[in-house]
Amino acid sequence: MKTRQVLLFLALAAATFVSLIPVLWAILTSFKQPVDAFTIPPTLVFSPTAEFHYQIWFEKGFWTFLVNSMVIAVSTVCISVPIGTMAAYALSRIETPQTRALLMVILAVRMFPHMLLALPFFVMASMLKLFDTYAIMIMALVAINQPFTIWLMRSFLVDVPRELDEAACIDGCNVWQTFVKVIVPAVRPGIVVTSLFSLLLAYNEFLFALVLTGAKTKTLPVAISEYGGEDITYWSLSAAGAVGIMLPILLFMVFVQRHLIRGLTMGAVKG
Amino acid sequence: MNTHRGLVWFLAPSLLVLLAMLVYPLGYALYLSLFDFYLPSNAPKFIGVGNYLALLGEARFWSAVYNTFVIVMASVALEFCLGLALAVGLYKLRFGAHGLMVVLFVPHIITPVVAALFLRWIFVGQWGLIDATFWPLGIFTPDWLGDPIWAKVTVVLADAWKATPFMMLVLYAGLQSLDQSLIEAATVDGANGRQLLFRVVLPLMRPIILFVVSIRIMDAFRFFDTIYVLTGGGPGTATETLTLYTYSVGFSRLEVGKASALGVVTLLIVLGLISAFVSFIYRRERGRF
Repeated sequence: MKTRQVLLFLALAAATFVSLIPVLWAILTSFKQPVDAFTIPPTLVFSPTAEFHYQIWFEKGFWTFLVNSMVIAVSTVCISVPIGTMAAYALSRIETPQTRALLMVILAVRMFPHMLLALPFFVMASMLKLFDTYAIMIMALVAINQPFTIWLMRSFLVDVPRELDEAACIDGCNVWQTFVKVIVPAVRPGIVVTSLFSLLLAYNEFLFALVLTGAKTKTLPVAISEYGGEDITYWSLSAAGAVGIMLPILLFMVFVQRHLIRGLTMGAVKG
Repeated sequence: MNTHRGLVWFLAPSLLVLLAMLVYPLGYALYLSLFDFYLPSNAPKFIGVGNYLALLGEARFWSAVYNTFVIVMASVALEFCLGLALAVGLYKLRFGAHGLMVVLFVPHIITPVVAALFLRWIFVGQWGLIDATFWPLGIFTPDWLGDPIWAKVTVVLADAWKATPFMMLVLYAGLQSLDQSLIEAATVDGANGRQLLFRVVLPLMRPIILFVVSIRIMDAFRFFDTIYVLTGGGPGTATETLTLYTYSVGFSRLEVGKASALGVVTLLIVLGLISAFVSFIYRRERGRF
């Protein structure tokens, strides 16, 4: 029995390693001189250089795209999570056929092909002269994040006992006071998890950013996609950029590892 | 006693945003789809269902539909098999499962564009990690990104790389919530490993399997970032899905009317899939999960 466990562990560890090869390879490439980056066969031993990490973030101006990404992602979360939490609270406490139908409509919206929304956004942005502004990007991301926020927050809110609401009501709170003074503190861990996942979704978003941002508001995913790697002499540079973009996400993993299932299934599966 | 008087108003801000930023644009897209509208000309011409008729008679449209279905079905099937194998393995493992799972999750959670670039550096001809490793050994690998058939395979592998961890995680959660007494009963009755999996465990997990497969099908339908970076729909139109075709009509050729029609058709296909899915979740919701 013990050897079977060890063999199973080795098999799974091997699978894990294989799935990480692309990531590890990119990290290696980002520390290589171009002359080491494209060789046949591949080079594993080389003298590492952090030169390209410095170049891409400072000389090529990736730090400005990081600022853009952060402004857009943080603003999105600051709008999306409060209004989504309010809606989720209402939907967790009012149980009528209408609210259930509304939840299903919101879920269906989550499944919409984003391409269909990107088109009218693009046309509206060019007509309203909002193209390449933070405002249009933030509005678009708040809207597409709403279904996710509402469903995930609702899954946390249904776990908050209704006796809390009733006690607050008896103590003379109106519905707003109940929400702010009793419910929000009780569901704080859920709000943190939801905010982190919304932040990730906004940070990773590509299609809307590709279509709605320009020179002034370009986000990291769009910037790195332009360093696509057709020209192999750019590999070290674009690898350094790509690896840098990945780092905050690895940090994020550390914080939310216990909530991954719940976050990624919008609360439908509680891990 | 009415604890929740006025609570309905809590829905207002969120619904306003959804109306202004999702429902209105959607209506606008429907409206645009009835026009022959080249964006720079700024002179839309009403043509009714002309865009839709033009699409139905177009080989490139049908090729995009075909590519979408092939890529979606192949990716989801592959992800399910790999995800189930990993989930069962992790479930049986009595040490280190949590650590392995978190590491296995990295490909799923990194920015899709970045993930696609990582894969490009693996698959790209001659200098990519695969070719550069195998060619000196005299093994000639397929043209991963340049051959019409292999490009599809590469795109499917890329999607599987990103989405298998999600499948695995949800199926693992499903395995952990199984009623242990049923498994013990089947073991006592002499079921072997395979019988246990196919006759007991999988039927018990049917709801969660349906859930995760549906979610993945919807998401695979929107699959854009990875293909855009990896093959750009090429070679030719070999990996051009509906979303990529819409992108090139709408944003490269700026024919926003026709692109809207294309988007609406995609939506109709996805809606068919969604309604099946939602009716399933709705029943589950009534059973209070």
